[in-house]
Amino acid sequence: MAKKRIDLPQGTLDLLILRTLALEPQHGWAISERIHQISSDVLLIQQGSLYPALHRLERRGWIKAKWGTSENNRRAKYYELTKTGRKQLELEKDSWKKLAAAVAQILETA
Amino acid sequence: MFNDLLFRLRSLFRRDAVESEADAELRFHFDQQVEKYIKSGRTREEAMRRARLEFGGHEQLKEEIRDARGVNLIETLFQDIRYGLRILGRTPVISCVAVLSLALGIGANTAIFSLIDTVMLRMLPVQKPEELVQLLRANFSGTGEGSPSFTNPLWEQVRDHQDVFSGAFAWGNSPFDLSQGGAVHYAEGIFASGSYFNTLGVRPAAGRLIGPSDDARGCPAVAVLSYGFWRDHFGGTQEAIGSTLSLNNHPFQIIGVSAPGFYGVEVGNKFDVAVPICSADVFDGKDSRLDHRSWWWLSVMGRVKADVSQDQLKARLGVLSPPIFSGALPKDWDDKGKARFLKLTLVASPAGTGISYLRRRFEQPLHILMGVVGLVLLIACANIASLMLARATARHRELAVRKALGASRARLIRQLLTECVLLSTAGAMLGIFFARWGSSLLVRYISTGDNKVFLDLTFDWRILSFTAGVAVFTGILFGVLPAFRSTRVSLTSAMKGSQAVDAQSRAKFRPGRWIVASQVALSLVLLVASGLFLRSLVKLVTMDVGFDRNNVLIVHANLHNAKVAPDQQPAMFDEIESRLRTLPGVVSASRSVMTPVSNYVWNSDLEVDTPNAPTGDAALGFFNFISPGYFGTVRTPLLAGRNFNDGDEKAAPLVAVVNETLARRFFPAGDALGKYFRIHADPGKPAPPIQIVGLVKDAKYESLREEAHATAYFPIAQVTEPVEEQVFELRTTTRPSALVPSVQEAVAAVSKAIPLDFGTLAEQVDDSLVQERLLATLSTFFGALALLLAMIGLYGALSYLVAQRQREFGIRKALGAPQNSILGLVMRDVFLVLGGGVTAGVCISLAAVELLQKMLFGLAARDTVTLLASVGVLSAVALFAGYVPARRAMRVDPMVALRYE
Repeated sequence: MAKKRIDLPQGTLDLLILRTLALEPQHGWAISERIHQISSDVLLIQQGSLYPALHRLERRGWIKAKWGTSENNRRAKYYELTKTGRKQLELEKDSWKKLAAAVAQILETA
Repeated sequence: MFNDLLFRLRSLFRRDAVESEADAELRFHFDQQVEKYIKSGRTREEAMRRARLEFGGHEQLKEEIRDARGVNLIETLFQDIRYGLRILGRTPVISCVAVLSLALGIGANTAIFSLIDTVMLRMLPVQKPEELVQLLRANFSGTGEGSPSFTNPLWEQVRDHQDVFSGAFAWGNSPFDLSQGGAVHYAEGIFASGSYFNTLGVRPAAGRLIGPSDDARGCPAVAVLSYGFWRDHFGGTQEAIGSTLSLNNHPFQIIGVSAPGFYGVEVGNKFDVAVPICSADVFDGKDSRLDHRSWWWLSVMGRVKADVSQDQLKARLGVLSPPIFSGALPKDWDDKGKARFLKLTLVASPAGTGISYLRRRFEQPLHILMGVVGLVLLIACANIASLMLARATARHRELAVRKALGASRARLIRQLLTECVLLSTAGAMLGIFFARWGSSLLVRYISTGDNKVFLDLTFDWRILSFTAGVAVFTGILFGVLPAFRSTRVSLTSAMKGSQAVDAQSRAKFRPGRWIVASQVALSLVLLVASGLFLRSLVKLVTMDVGFDRNNVLIVHANLHNAKVAPDQQPAMFDEIESRLRTLPGVVSASRSVMTPVSNYVWNSDLEVDTPNAPTGDAALGFFNFISPGYFGTVRTPLLAGRNFNDGDEKAAPLVAVVNETLARRFFPAGDALGKYFRIHADPGKPAPPIQIVGLVKDAKYESLREEAHATAYFPIAQVTEPVEEQVFELRTTTRPSALVPSVQEAVAAVSKAIPLDFGTLAEQVDDSLVQERLLATLSTFFGALALLLAMIGLYGALSYLVAQRQREFGIRKALGAPQNSILGLVMRDVFLVLGGGVTAGVCISLAAVELLQKMLFGLAARDTVTLLASVGVLSAVALFAGYVPARRAMRVDPMVALRYE
């Protein structure tokens, strides 16, 4: 592996999943692929963290699951954002931006 | 929140569907990944391998998903319980022993606690019990506890003048004889004021209760029954209402029955019959206690008004007291007494839990017993802990496999703890049965012939939560250590074939050793305590009390109903006495006003003319009136002078026989015989001189624990006031109770209207030792139990150790180690554990026994004999328990041990 992978800070995975699902409903594998691609191969989500996170978000009512058919014609479980999930995404986006800005500021000035 | 719950429940109840969904989802992901790798040019095999590596443990992931879904908490609990039951069922004997010893421990704790609860903590089953207070008479300074007894005039003053209570009531206890002649049959009675039931808020179960209108001078004789008495004696029928009941040979009309569950306000007593206070006139005749100003027979309680605070109550009672006391001043008292009386003030003491003489008497013994059973439970817990430890080690591989399959350590610990809580829950449920049985046994034990203890032992929420708490606590207590230790598994060594534990077996035994040592220490403490109580009791029982309690029948006879004039009563008593003396089986007979150790005391200050006469407490003399046969019958030896004889009659000069203590204290020169003393009397009243004609040995008067009292005996013919009730003592050749029928017959020949109450002197003395016997018996029982448990613990731990080191012993022997050296190896552990435990136990005992000093008699709490004996017994038993497995180790056949591998 040429590129170095970065470990996700606690809680960021939820934000990424919600953001990915904001475009369209997806199944688990596609979510991890997309995050991988969009982050230019920097972020690789292990199944070990992805699936517990998905089920946790489902329990909280931010996403819901239904079974559908995948591109290669197999049954797959698709997750989509719920209304509260959408609200939550906005909230988390905001707080992430604030956090990132604050961290950046410290790194540059301190 | 609600959604969350629904989600969890769906996960729980549609477990299989959810499970297979998770499976399908993960498989889909896996397949996608494999496909992706194939597309990027790998062979199928390589792609699968890569994907699998990335994927990690499939089951582990599923477990994490379950966690995320929040299923686990509830679901795994059921799982754990099911699994735990299966595991426990696999070793039925061990599980039974564990449950049984826990049940004993928890049962004993619950039993003692339920007594503490009923005697000391529980609120009365009446309306708003927290508002009730008891009124006491206290010194103006407020020092001392105050006295709870009131005269009727004083109560009437309180009733008519108080303005702080929404209701106040008075009651007095009195046994009522239900029989009409012949052997007495007592019912527990109370005289209740008209406000008694009203104020308490007790409702009738049938008919009506005593009300204010029933309690006015000259009231008709009516009675209210308690629910239990109504049920037991009248079959709970309506016809009982309106019928008559004979109380001390006076007819009373039954007007109603009080509600079930109400036993009066005194915990430890119940009432059978309640009559209005005014009906005392019926019993007393013309010298009625209703107007008597120094007859202290009532207790008073009030219900504080809602808007009156504690401080207001105290202040107001202070203001109310002077007029109340001056209105009830005993007119015949001397000036000093009157002045003291007028300075008294009323104080209120909270009475929501009722009042009880049991509290003072048994508070300390109960707390000591609570400590004792607590220790027993700890020892039982330690036993089960070492059991669990041994078993967990045996389950080493199982735990390793589960861990390898993805179980987290926390998960395993929870599983093991669940098993422990299962054990303790089973123990608690069985324990509740033991407790019910044990506590009623205890109540029967502390009941004496004279003093029947009644306690409502129904379990309330407090007892049940106590038991539940104890169960959970013990489960965790004995579960935590083994759970944490045994889940520290090294996967590789376990998978390799388990015998890697061999090398660490000595280290593994370390916690076991600690457990056993602490058991030894705790049981030593219990042994010391029980030894102290036992020795105290033995000292009390074998002590020379100055009379011979064996084979003496005591007969109380009351001439009140015999319809003889007071001046004819002595003649009647004389006649009965002479008839009893000639009964077959009677060695000698006598009569007296009092008997030794009977709870009754008659005392007053003595005055002598010698210089430096004793004053204060030392001047107090204790008295009894006796017939000439008394000393011979109770076998108190006459040391000098003469006994009474028929010449000491009413008109003859006053004489007395005194005991050694009186003679020594008042006549230190040793010349008491022939000297005179007087009994202190109020000014203006005659205090005739009494001549000492005889000297007897000291005998216990009030209790076996007392220092000898200065005692004077007077001829019963010279009683100052007529005494209606006298006591006959009969020394018998056989069992005293065998004479009861012939005594009844003999008395009936004189008069059929004399109620008789039978007892024996031995019972009377025994009854005075209830506390001591309770402590000695129970602490010995629990001490033995603790010893047994500790020895099982030691035996078990060593057997386990020996089994583990079997191979090592085999090799040692194969290499030529003598048998004795192997025996020594094991016994070294025994000595180590025993030495540590005994040292700790001795230290704890020395520090803790001071607490027991008050309950001991005739020995110091740090009694060397008891301590040494306890250490001796413990060591002997421990060495035996250790020797058995050690011998087994010694006999290990090297071939068998090595082949076993």
